[in-house]
Amino acid sequence: MELVFAYIDPGSGSLVIQALIAGLVAAPIFFRKQISRFVRAIRGEEPATETTNTDDTPQGG
Amino acid sequence: MAEASTASSAPERDPGSYRDPAGFVFRRDGVIYRQIDQSFAQDWQGYLDSGLYERLRKEGIVIPHDEADLDLAAEPGAAAVIRPEPLELISYPYEWSFSQLQDAALLTLRAQTLAAEAGFTLRDASAYNIQFHHGRPVLIDSLSFERAEPGKPWAPYRQFCEHFLAPLALMSKVDVRLGSLLRDHLDGVPLDLAARLLPGRTRLSLGLGPHIHLHARAQRQHADDNAAADEQAGASMSADKLATLIESLQNTVSGLSWEPEGTAWADYADNTSYTDAATAAKMEAVEAAVRKVGGRSAWDLGANTGRYSRIAADEGYRVVALDVDPAAVERGYRALKADGRTDITPLLADITDPSPALGWGNAERASLLARIDADVILALALVHHLAIGANVPLTMIASVFAGMAPHAVMEFVPKGDAMVQRLLAFRRDVFPDYNLEGFKAAFGQYFEVESETPIEGSGRILFHFRRR
Repeated sequence: MELVFAYIDPGSGSLVIQALIAGLVAAPIFFRKQISRFVRAIRGEEPATETTNTDDTPQGG
Repeated sequence: MAEASTASSAPERDPGSYRDPAGFVFRRDGVIYRQIDQSFAQDWQGYLDSGLYERLRKEGIVIPHDEADLDLAAEPGAAAVIRPEPLELISYPYEWSFSQLQDAALLTLRAQTLAAEAGFTLRDASAYNIQFHHGRPVLIDSLSFERAEPGKPWAPYRQFCEHFLAPLALMSKVDVRLGSLLRDHLDGVPLDLAARLLPGRTRLSLGLGPHIHLHARAQRQHADDNAAADEQAGASMSADKLATLIESLQNTVSGLSWEPEGTAWADYADNTSYTDAATAAKMEAVEAAVRKVGGRSAWDLGANTGRYSRIAADEGYRVVALDVDPAAVERGYRALKADGRTDITPLLADITDPSPALGWGNAERASLLARIDADVILALALVHHLAIGANVPLTMIASVFAGMAPHAVMEFVPKGDAMVQRLLAFRRDVFPDYNLEGFKAAFGQYFEVESETPIEGSGRILFHFRRR
Protein backbone atom coordinates (compact mmCIF):
# COMPACT_ATOMS: atom_id res chain seq x y z
CA MET A 1 0.00 0.00 0.00
CA GLU A 2 2.08 2.92 -1.21
CA LEU A 3 0.98 6.34 -0.08
CA VAL A 4 1.85 9.24 -2.32
CA PHE A 5 3.96 11.75 -0.36
CA ALA A 6 3.08 10.17 3.01
CA TYR A 7 6.46 11.29 4.25
CA ILE A 8 5.42 10.81 7.86
CA ASP A 9 5.06 7.36 9.34
CA PRO A 10 1.32 6.74 9.10
CA GLY A 11 1.52 3.66 11.29
CA SER A 12 0.42 0.35 9.82
CA GLY A 13 -2.19 -0.21 12.53
CA SER A 14 -3.64 3.26 11.96
CA LEU A 15 -4.03 2.60 8.25
CA VAL A 16 -5.63 -0.77 8.71
CA ILE A 17 -8.04 0.16 11.50
CA GLN A 18 -9.42 3.47 10.28
CA ALA A 19 -11.96 2.04 7.84
CA LEU A 20 -13.36 -0.09 10.65
CA ILE A 21 -13.39 2.90 13.01
CA ALA A 22 -15.11 5.03 10.38
CA GLY A 23 -17.76 2.34 10.19
CA LEU A 24 -18.13 2.23 13.98
CA VAL A 25 -18.43 5.96 14.48
CA ALA A 26 -20.85 6.42 11.59
CA ALA A 27 -23.67 5.11 13.74
CA PRO A 28 -23.39 7.65 16.57
CA ILE A 29 -23.01 10.45 14.02
CA PHE A 30 -26.10 9.26 12.19
CA PHE A 31 -28.15 8.99 15.37
CA ARG A 32 -26.89 12.33 16.63
CA LYS A 33 -28.07 13.98 13.41
CA GLN A 34 -31.44 12.24 13.60
CA ILE A 35 -31.94 13.26 17.20
CA SER A 36 -31.15 16.94 16.53
CA ARG A 37 -33.42 16.90 13.53
CA PHE A 38 -36.18 15.45 15.69
CA VAL A 39 -35.62 17.96 18.48
CA ARG A 40 -35.64 20.85 16.02
CA ALA A 41 -38.86 19.56 14.45
CA ILE A 42 -40.54 19.41 17.85
CA ARG A 43 -39.43 22.94 18.64
CA GLY A 44 -40.69 24.13 15.27
CA GLU A 45 -37.27 25.51 14.36
CA GLU A 46 -35.68 25.88 10.90
CA PRO A 47 -34.05 22.67 9.64
CA ALA A 48 -30.25 22.77 9.95
CA THR A 49 -28.01 22.95 6.88
CA GLU A 50 -25.57 20.12 6.31
CA THR A 51 -22.41 22.09 7.01
CA THR A 52 -21.80 24.29 10.02
CA ASN A 53 -19.82 26.91 8.14
CA THR A 54 -21.96 29.92 7.34
CA ASP A 55 -19.74 31.56 4.73
CA ASP A 56 -19.73 28.71 2.25
CA THR A 57 -18.55 29.25 -1.27
CA PRO A 58 -20.82 27.66 -3.89
CA GLN A 59 -18.63 24.58 -4.04
CA GLY A 60 -19.20 23.90 -0.34
CA GLY A 61 -21.43 21.09 0.85
CA MET B 1 25.56 25.48 -4.84
CA ALA B 2 25.14 27.62 -7.99
CA GLU B 3 26.21 31.26 -8.06
CA ALA B 4 24.93 33.27 -5.14
CA SER B 5 22.53 36.13 -5.67
CA THR B 6 24.46 39.37 -5.39
CA ALA B 7 22.10 40.92 -2.88
CA SER B 8 21.78 37.99 -0.48
CA SER B 9 23.95 36.40 2.11
CA ALA B 10 24.13 32.65 2.64
CA PRO B 11 20.76 31.07 3.45
CA GLU B 12 20.21 29.14 6.67
CA ARG B 13 17.88 26.20 6.79
CA ASP B 14 15.50 26.15 9.75
CA PRO B 15 16.80 23.37 12.03
CA GLY B 16 13.25 22.12 12.58
CA SER B 17 12.37 21.91 8.90
CA TYR B 18 13.93 18.73 7.58
CA ARG B 19 11.43 15.89 7.46
CA ASP B 20 9.43 16.82 4.40
CA PRO B 21 10.76 16.03 0.92
CA ALA B 22 8.26 18.50 -0.56
CA GLY B 23 10.18 21.49 0.73
CA PHE B 24 11.65 23.29 3.71
CA VAL B 25 11.87 26.62 5.48
CA PHE B 26 14.98 28.74 5.41
CA ARG B 27 16.09 32.19 6.41
CA ARG B 28 17.92 34.60 4.13
CA ASP B 29 18.93 38.09 5.21
CA GLY B 30 16.57 37.90 8.14
CA VAL B 31 13.58 36.93 5.99
CA ILE B 32 11.79 33.58 6.20
CA TYR B 33 11.16 31.70 2.94
CA ARG B 34 9.81 28.30 2.03
CA GLN B 35 11.27 26.38 -0.89
CA ILE B 36 9.05 23.96 -2.83
CA ASP B 37 10.73 20.97 -4.38
CA GLN B 38 10.31 19.92 -8.04
CA SER B 39 8.82 16.62 -6.86
CA PHE B 40 5.92 18.52 -5.29
CA ALA B 41 5.46 21.07 -8.08
CA GLN B 42 2.24 19.56 -9.48
CA ASP B 43 0.49 19.28 -6.13
CA TRP B 44 1.60 22.81 -5.27
CA GLN B 45 0.29 24.25 -8.52
CA GLY B 46 -2.94 22.34 -8.07
CA TYR B 47 -3.27 23.70 -4.54
CA LEU B 48 -3.13 27.22 -5.94
CA ASP B 49 -5.16 26.64 -9.13
CA SER B 50 -7.98 24.80 -7.39
CA GLY B 51 -8.66 27.83 -5.25
CA LEU B 52 -8.01 25.87 -2.07
CA TYR B 53 -5.21 28.18 -0.95
CA GLU B 54 -7.41 31.22 -1.55
CA ARG B 55 -10.26 29.71 0.42
CA LEU B 56 -8.02 28.71 3.34
CA ARG B 57 -6.38 32.11 3.34
CA LYS B 58 -9.70 33.94 3.35
CA GLU B 59 -10.94 31.93 6.27
CA GLY B 60 -7.74 32.71 8.16
CA ILE B 61 -6.79 29.03 8.31
CA VAL B 62 -3.47 29.11 6.46
CA ILE B 63 -0.71 31.70 6.72
CA PRO B 64 -0.77 33.96 3.66
CA HIS B 65 2.30 34.03 1.45
CA ASP B 66 3.80 35.96 -1.43
CA GLU B 67 5.56 34.43 -4.40
CA ALA B 68 9.30 34.99 -4.28
CA ASP B 69 12.06 34.92 -6.84
CA LEU B 70 13.21 31.41 -7.68
CA ASP B 71 16.78 32.72 -7.50
CA LEU B 72 16.34 33.05 -3.76
CA ALA B 73 16.13 29.27 -3.36
CA ALA B 74 18.50 27.93 -0.74
CA GLU B 75 19.25 24.65 -2.48
CA PRO B 76 18.99 23.25 -6.01
CA GLY B 77 15.85 21.45 -7.12
CA ALA B 78 13.38 24.19 -6.27
CA ALA B 79 10.21 24.56 -8.31
CA ALA B 80 9.10 27.66 -6.41
CA VAL B 81 10.01 29.88 -3.49
CA ILE B 82 7.41 31.61 -1.34
CA ARG B 83 7.64 34.18 1.40
CA PRO B 84 5.08 33.47 4.14
CA GLU B 85 3.79 36.30 6.30
CA PRO B 86 6.31 36.64 9.14
CA LEU B 87 5.37 35.37 12.58
CA GLU B 88 6.03 37.58 15.57
CA LEU B 89 6.06 34.66 17.98
CA ILE B 90 7.06 31.03 17.85
CA SER B 91 5.43 28.82 20.47
CA TYR B 92 5.10 25.09 20.86
CA PRO B 93 2.18 22.80 21.79
CA TYR B 94 3.63 22.07 25.24
CA GLU B 95 3.32 25.80 25.95
CA TRP B 96 -0.37 25.99 25.07
CA SER B 97 -3.37 25.88 27.36
CA PHE B 98 -6.10 23.30 26.92
CA SER B 99 -8.26 25.51 24.72
CA GLN B 100 -5.33 26.65 22.64
CA LEU B 101 -4.47 23.02 21.83
CA GLN B 102 -8.15 22.27 21.23
CA ASP B 103 -8.50 25.21 18.83
CA ALA B 104 -5.36 24.08 17.00
CA ALA B 105 -6.85 20.59 16.65
CA LEU B 106 -10.17 21.89 15.33
CA LEU B 107 -8.34 24.16 12.89
CA THR B 108 -6.47 21.14 11.53
CA LEU B 109 -9.73 19.25 11.01
CA ARG B 110 -11.36 22.27 9.39
CA ALA B 111 -8.41 22.50 7.00
CA GLN B 112 -8.91 18.83 6.11
CA THR B 113 -12.62 19.36 5.51
CA LEU B 114 -12.03 22.26 3.14
CA ALA B 115 -9.23 20.36 1.43
CA ALA B 116 -11.52 17.38 0.83
CA GLU B 117 -14.12 19.64 -0.76
CA ALA B 118 -11.46 20.74 -3.25
CA GLY B 119 -10.24 17.23 -3.98
CA PHE B 120 -7.21 17.53 -1.71
CA THR B 121 -6.16 16.07 1.61
CA LEU B 122 -3.73 16.80 4.42
CA ARG B 123 -0.37 15.05 4.24
CA ASP B 124 0.25 15.34 7.96
CA ALA B 125 -1.42 16.58 11.13
CA SER B 126 1.45 17.70 13.30
CA ALA B 127 0.74 20.19 16.07
CA TYR B 128 3.93 21.93 14.96
CA ASN B 129 2.19 22.90 11.73
CA ILE B 130 0.19 25.34 13.82
CA GLN B 131 1.41 28.63 15.29
CA PHE B 132 -0.45 31.30 17.22
CA HIS B 133 -0.51 34.41 15.05
CA HIS B 134 -2.27 37.51 16.31
CA GLY B 135 -3.54 35.39 19.15
CA ARG B 136 -5.24 32.73 16.99
CA PRO B 137 -4.07 29.39 15.64
CA VAL B 138 -2.99 29.34 12.01
CA LEU B 139 -1.59 26.60 9.77
CA ILE B 140 1.90 27.63 8.77
CA ASP B 141 2.84 24.62 6.66
CA SER B 142 1.82 25.69 3.18
CA LEU B 143 2.92 22.30 1.86
CA SER B 144 0.46 20.34 3.94
CA PHE B 145 -1.92 19.62 1.07
CA GLU B 146 -1.75 17.03 -1.71
CA ARG B 147 -4.27 15.74 -4.22
CA ALA B 148 -6.62 13.22 -2.70
CA GLU B 149 -6.78 9.74 -4.15
CA PRO B 150 -10.18 8.24 -3.36
CA GLY B 151 -9.91 4.94 -1.56
CA LYS B 152 -6.58 5.66 0.08
CA PRO B 153 -6.56 5.78 3.88
CA TRP B 154 -5.92 9.04 5.70
CA ALA B 155 -2.18 9.05 6.42
CA PRO B 156 -2.32 11.75 9.15
CA TYR B 157 -4.71 9.75 11.37
CA ARG B 158 -2.07 8.42 13.76
CA GLN B 159 -0.35 11.79 14.03
CA PHE B 160 -3.60 13.64 14.68
CA CYS B 161 -4.58 11.27 17.47
CA GLU B 162 -1.13 11.46 19.10
CA HIS B 163 -0.43 15.18 18.70
CA PHE B 164 -3.93 16.42 19.51
CA LEU B 165 -6.55 13.94 20.67
CA ALA B 166 -4.49 12.00 23.21
CA PRO B 167 -3.05 15.02 25.08
CA LEU B 168 -6.43 16.78 25.07
CA ALA B 169 -8.15 13.67 26.42
CA LEU B 170 -5.53 13.30 29.15
CA MET B 171 -5.78 16.98 30.12
CA SER B 172 -9.55 16.75 30.23
CA LYS B 173 -10.06 13.34 31.85
CA VAL B 174 -7.02 12.90 34.07
CA ASP B 175 -5.04 16.07 34.85
CA VAL B 176 -4.40 19.25 32.92
CA ARG B 177 -0.71 19.01 33.74
CA LEU B 178 -0.42 15.99 31.44
CA GLY B 179 -0.16 18.49 28.58
CA SER B 180 3.53 18.53 29.42
CA LEU B 181 3.81 14.99 28.02
CA LEU B 182 4.11 16.79 24.68
CA ARG B 183 7.48 18.06 25.83
CA ASP B 184 8.69 14.49 26.36
CA HIS B 185 7.08 13.12 23.21
CA LEU B 186 7.76 15.44 20.32
CA ASP B 187 5.88 13.27 17.86
CA GLY B 188 2.79 13.11 20.00
CA VAL B 189 1.72 11.12 23.03
CA PRO B 190 1.93 7.41 22.13
CA LEU B 191 -1.56 5.94 22.02
CA ASP B 192 -0.69 2.98 24.21
CA LEU B 193 0.49 5.38 26.92
CA ALA B 194 -2.66 7.49 26.59
CA ALA B 195 -4.84 4.38 26.68
CA ARG B 196 -3.12 3.23 29.84
CA LEU B 197 -3.44 6.59 31.60
CA LEU B 198 -7.04 7.35 30.65
CA PRO B 199 -9.80 6.12 32.97
CA GLY B 200 -11.20 2.75 31.99
CA ARG B 201 -14.64 4.19 31.34
CA THR B 202 -13.28 6.03 28.29
CA ARG B 203 -13.20 2.64 26.53
CA LEU B 204 -16.95 2.96 26.33
CA SER B 205 -16.83 6.52 25.05
CA LEU B 206 -18.12 6.83 21.50
CA GLY B 207 -15.17 8.98 20.50
CA LEU B 208 -12.23 8.07 22.71
CA GLY B 209 -13.10 4.36 22.63
CA PRO B 210 -12.32 3.92 18.93
CA HIS B 211 -9.83 6.75 18.34
CA ILE B 212 -7.63 6.06 21.36
CA HIS B 213 -8.27 2.58 22.74
CA LEU B 214 -9.16 0.58 19.64
CA HIS B 215 -6.58 2.57 17.72
CA ALA B 216 -3.87 1.74 20.29
CA ARG B 217 -4.76 -1.93 20.09
CA ALA B 218 -4.55 -1.88 16.32
CA GLN B 219 -1.11 -0.27 16.52
CA ARG B 220 0.06 -3.01 18.84
CA GLN B 221 -1.40 -5.78 16.70
CA HIS B 222 -0.05 -4.51 13.40
CA ALA B 223 3.33 -3.35 14.60
CA ASP B 224 5.23 -6.02 12.69
CA ASP B 225 3.07 -6.16 9.61
CA ASN B 226 4.42 -5.83 6.12
CA ALA B 227 2.60 -3.88 3.44
CA ALA B 228 1.36 -6.91 1.50
CA ALA B 229 -0.45 -8.36 4.50
CA ASP B 230 -2.14 -5.05 5.23
CA GLU B 231 -3.29 -4.66 1.65
CA GLN B 232 -5.65 -7.55 2.20
CA ALA B 233 -6.69 -6.66 5.73
CA GLY B 234 -7.48 -2.96 5.52
CA ALA B 235 -10.71 -1.95 3.79
CA SER B 236 -10.52 1.12 1.58
CA MET B 237 -11.52 4.58 2.75
CA SER B 238 -14.08 6.15 0.49
CA ALA B 239 -14.53 9.91 0.57
CA ASP B 240 -17.68 9.41 2.67
CA LYS B 241 -15.87 7.23 5.17
CA LEU B 242 -13.10 9.77 5.43
CA ALA B 243 -15.63 12.55 5.99
CA THR B 244 -17.23 10.45 8.72
CA LEU B 245 -13.86 9.85 10.35
CA ILE B 246 -13.09 13.57 10.33
CA GLU B 247 -16.52 14.50 11.65
CA SER B 248 -16.13 11.97 14.44
CA LEU B 249 -12.74 13.43 15.36
CA GLN B 250 -14.31 16.90 15.37
CA ASN B 251 -17.10 15.79 17.68
CA THR B 252 -14.67 13.98 19.95
CA VAL B 253 -12.29 16.94 20.22
CA SER B 254 -15.12 19.44 20.73
CA GLY B 255 -16.68 17.20 23.34
CA LEU B 256 -13.62 17.38 25.57
CA SER B 257 -13.55 20.14 28.12
CA TRP B 258 -11.54 21.38 31.04
CA GLU B 259 -12.78 23.93 33.54
CA PRO B 260 -10.01 26.02 35.13
CA GLU B 261 -11.09 26.04 38.75
CA GLY B 262 -9.30 25.30 41.93
CA THR B 263 -5.64 25.50 40.97
CA ALA B 264 -3.46 27.38 43.41
CA TRP B 265 -3.16 30.61 41.50
CA ALA B 266 -6.64 30.85 40.08
CA ASP B 267 -7.86 33.14 42.82
CA TYR B 268 -4.65 35.13 43.02
CA ALA B 269 -6.12 38.24 41.50
CA ASP B 270 -8.68 38.34 44.29
CA ASN B 271 -6.40 37.39 47.13
CA THR B 272 -3.43 39.71 46.91
CA SER B 273 -2.66 42.18 49.62
CA TYR B 274 -3.80 45.07 47.46
CA THR B 275 -6.45 47.64 48.13
CA ASP B 276 -8.31 49.02 45.13
CA ALA B 277 -6.45 52.32 45.43
CA ALA B 278 -3.12 50.55 45.47
CA THR B 279 -4.08 48.51 42.41
CA ALA B 280 -5.03 51.66 40.55
CA ALA B 281 -1.73 53.27 41.53
CA LYS B 282 0.20 50.24 40.33
CA MET B 283 -1.67 50.18 37.03
CA GLU B 284 -0.88 53.85 36.48
CA ALA B 285 2.79 53.32 37.25
CA VAL B 286 3.03 50.35 34.88
CA GLU B 287 1.28 52.32 32.16
CA ALA B 288 3.69 55.22 32.57
CA ALA B 289 6.72 52.94 32.46
CA VAL B 290 5.74 51.05 29.31
CA ARG B 291 4.80 54.31 27.66
CA LYS B 292 8.25 55.66 28.53
CA VAL B 293 9.89 52.62 26.93
CA GLY B 294 7.86 53.21 23.77
CA GLY B 295 8.48 49.75 22.40
CA ARG B 296 6.55 47.27 20.23
CA SER B 297 6.92 44.01 22.04
CA ALA B 298 6.45 43.14 25.70
CA TRP B 299 6.71 39.84 27.53
CA ASP B 300 4.74 39.72 30.76
CA LEU B 301 6.30 37.18 33.12
CA GLY B 302 3.85 35.75 35.62
CA ALA B 303 1.01 37.48 33.82
CA ASN B 304 -1.78 35.63 35.62
CA THR B 305 -4.91 36.48 33.67
CA GLY B 306 -3.31 39.39 31.88
CA ARG B 307 -4.45 42.53 33.63
CA TYR B 308 -1.08 44.21 33.12
CA SER B 309 -0.58 42.61 29.72
CA ARG B 310 -3.65 44.55 28.64
CA ILE B 311 -2.14 47.79 29.87
CA ALA B 312 0.90 47.23 27.67
CA ALA B 313 -1.27 46.12 24.75
CA ASP B 314 -3.40 49.25 25.08
CA GLU B 315 -0.15 51.21 24.77
CA GLY B 316 0.42 49.59 21.39
CA TYR B 317 2.54 46.61 22.39
CA ARG B 318 2.03 43.09 21.17
CA VAL B 319 2.31 41.07 24.33
CA VAL B 320 3.23 37.52 25.25
CA ALA B 321 1.65 36.74 28.61
CA LEU B 322 3.46 33.90 30.37
CA ASP B 323 2.23 32.08 33.44
CA VAL B 324 3.06 28.82 35.20
CA ASP B 325 -0.56 28.16 36.13
CA PRO B 326 -2.61 26.35 33.46
CA ALA B 327 -5.79 27.89 34.86
CA ALA B 328 -4.45 31.42 34.44
CA VAL B 329 -3.35 30.77 30.85
CA GLU B 330 -6.68 29.14 30.04
CA ARG B 331 -8.71 31.95 31.57
CA GLY B 332 -6.54 34.52 29.84
CA TYR B 333 -7.01 32.87 26.46
CA ARG B 334 -10.76 32.56 26.86
CA ALA B 335 -11.09 36.19 27.90
CA LEU B 336 -8.99 37.38 24.96
CA LYS B 337 -11.08 35.35 22.53
CA ALA B 338 -14.28 36.73 24.02
CA ASP B 339 -12.95 40.27 23.68
CA GLY B 340 -11.66 39.66 20.18
CA ARG B 341 -8.17 40.85 21.15
CA THR B 342 -5.37 39.90 18.81
CA ASP B 343 -2.48 41.69 20.47
CA ILE B 344 -1.90 39.36 23.43
CA THR B 345 -0.90 35.69 23.34
CA PRO B 346 -0.96 33.78 26.63
CA LEU B 347 1.46 30.88 27.03
CA LEU B 348 2.22 28.33 29.70
CA ALA B 349 5.77 28.74 31.02
CA ASP B 350 7.68 28.21 34.24
CA ILE B 351 10.35 30.91 34.55
CA THR B 352 12.36 28.62 36.81
CA ASP B 353 12.31 25.93 34.12
CA PRO B 354 11.57 27.52 30.75
CA SER B 355 11.16 25.22 27.73
CA PRO B 356 14.55 23.85 26.77
CA ALA B 357 15.88 23.32 23.25
CA LEU B 358 14.53 19.97 22.03
CA GLY B 359 14.56 17.58 19.13
CA TRP B 360 17.25 16.69 16.66
CA GLY B 361 20.58 18.23 17.61
CA ASN B 362 18.71 19.98 20.43
CA ALA B 363 18.01 22.59 17.79
CA GLU B 364 14.69 21.57 16.24
CA ARG B 365 12.58 23.31 18.86
CA ALA B 366 14.27 26.39 20.26
CA SER B 367 14.41 27.13 23.95
CA LEU B 368 11.94 29.68 25.30
CA LEU B 369 14.71 32.08 26.29
CA ALA B 370 16.05 32.02 22.72
CA ARG B 371 12.59 32.94 21.41
CA ILE B 372 12.06 35.97 23.63
CA ASP B 373 12.07 39.01 21.42
CA ALA B 374 11.00 41.87 23.64
CA ASP B 375 11.59 45.58 24.11
CA VAL B 376 10.47 45.27 27.72
CA ILE B 377 9.67 42.54 30.19
CA LEU B 378 7.13 42.93 32.96
CA ALA B 379 7.92 41.17 36.22
CA LEU B 380 5.12 42.23 38.52
CA ALA B 381 4.45 40.32 41.74
CA LEU B 382 6.98 37.80 40.49
CA VAL B 383 10.48 38.29 41.88
CA HIS B 384 9.56 37.31 45.44
CA HIS B 385 8.25 34.00 44.10
CA LEU B 386 11.56 33.37 42.39
CA ALA B 387 13.81 34.68 45.16
CA ILE B 388 11.95 33.24 48.13
CA GLY B 389 9.60 30.66 46.70
CA ALA B 390 12.26 29.12 44.48
CA ASN B 391 15.44 30.20 46.30
CA VAL B 392 16.96 31.87 43.24
CA PRO B 393 19.51 34.49 44.32
CA LEU B 394 18.58 38.03 43.25
CA THR B 395 21.79 38.44 41.24
CA MET B 396 20.95 35.32 39.25
CA ILE B 397 17.44 36.59 38.60
CA ALA B 398 18.90 39.90 37.44
CA SER B 399 21.35 38.15 35.15
CA VAL B 400 18.68 36.09 33.37
CA PHE B 401 16.30 39.04 33.11
CA ALA B 402 19.06 41.19 31.64
CA GLY B 403 19.39 38.65 28.86
CA MET B 404 15.72 38.95 27.96
CA ALA B 405 15.15 42.59 27.04
CA PRO B 406 16.67 46.07 27.21
CA HIS B 407 14.02 47.27 29.66
CA ALA B 408 12.37 45.69 32.68
CA VAL B 409 9.37 46.93 34.63
CA MET B 410 9.56 45.19 37.97
CA GLU B 411 7.83 45.18 41.29
CA PHE B 412 9.77 44.90 44.53
CA VAL B 413 7.66 43.26 47.25
CA PRO B 414 9.17 43.70 50.73
CA LYS B 415 9.40 40.92 53.28
CA GLY B 416 6.73 42.49 55.45
CA ASP B 417 4.15 42.11 52.70
CA ALA B 418 1.44 39.54 53.34
CA MET B 419 2.28 37.60 50.18
CA VAL B 420 5.92 37.22 51.17
CA GLN B 421 4.94 36.29 54.70
CA ARG B 422 2.81 33.54 53.24
CA LEU B 423 5.84 32.24 51.31
CA LEU B 424 7.89 32.28 54.50
CA ALA B 425 5.29 30.54 56.63
CA PHE B 426 6.69 27.29 58.03
CA ARG B 427 10.09 28.10 56.55
CA ARG B 428 13.36 29.39 57.90
CA ASP B 429 14.12 32.87 56.64
CA VAL B 430 17.41 32.24 54.82
CA PHE B 431 17.13 35.41 52.78
CA PRO B 432 19.15 38.10 54.58
CA ASP B 433 19.77 39.98 51.32
CA TYR B 434 16.14 40.10 50.33
CA ASN B 435 15.42 43.75 51.00
CA LEU B 436 15.30 46.97 49.02
CA GLU B 437 19.06 47.59 49.19
CA GLY B 438 19.84 44.02 48.19
CA PHE B 439 17.31 44.23 45.37
CA LYS B 440 18.79 47.44 43.98
CA ALA B 441 22.34 46.16 44.37
CA ALA B 442 21.58 42.92 42.50
CA PHE B 443 19.75 44.56 39.63
CA GLY B 444 22.14 47.49 39.63
CA GLN B 445 24.82 45.15 38.30
CA TYR B 446 22.94 44.92 35.01
CA PHE B 447 20.49 47.81 34.93
CA GLU B 448 20.21 51.54 35.55
CA VAL B 449 17.18 52.79 37.43
CA GLU B 450 14.98 54.84 35.10
CA SER B 451 12.31 55.32 37.75
CA GLU B 452 11.45 54.12 41.23
CA THR B 453 7.80 54.58 42.19
CA PRO B 454 6.44 53.52 45.59
CA ILE B 455 2.93 52.14 45.24
CA GLU B 456 0.69 54.12 47.55
CA GLY B 457 -1.17 52.04 50.07
CA SER B 458 1.24 49.10 49.87
CA GLY B 459 4.87 48.66 50.79
CA ARG B 460 5.70 47.77 47.21
CA ILE B 461 7.83 49.70 44.75
CA LEU B 462 7.60 49.73 40.98
CA PHE B 463 10.91 49.98 39.15
CA HIS B 464 11.65 50.77 35.54
CA PHE B 465 15.09 49.37 34.79
CA ARG B 466 17.10 50.05 31.66
CA ARG B 467 19.83 47.58 30.78
CA ARG B 468 23.35 49.01 30.79
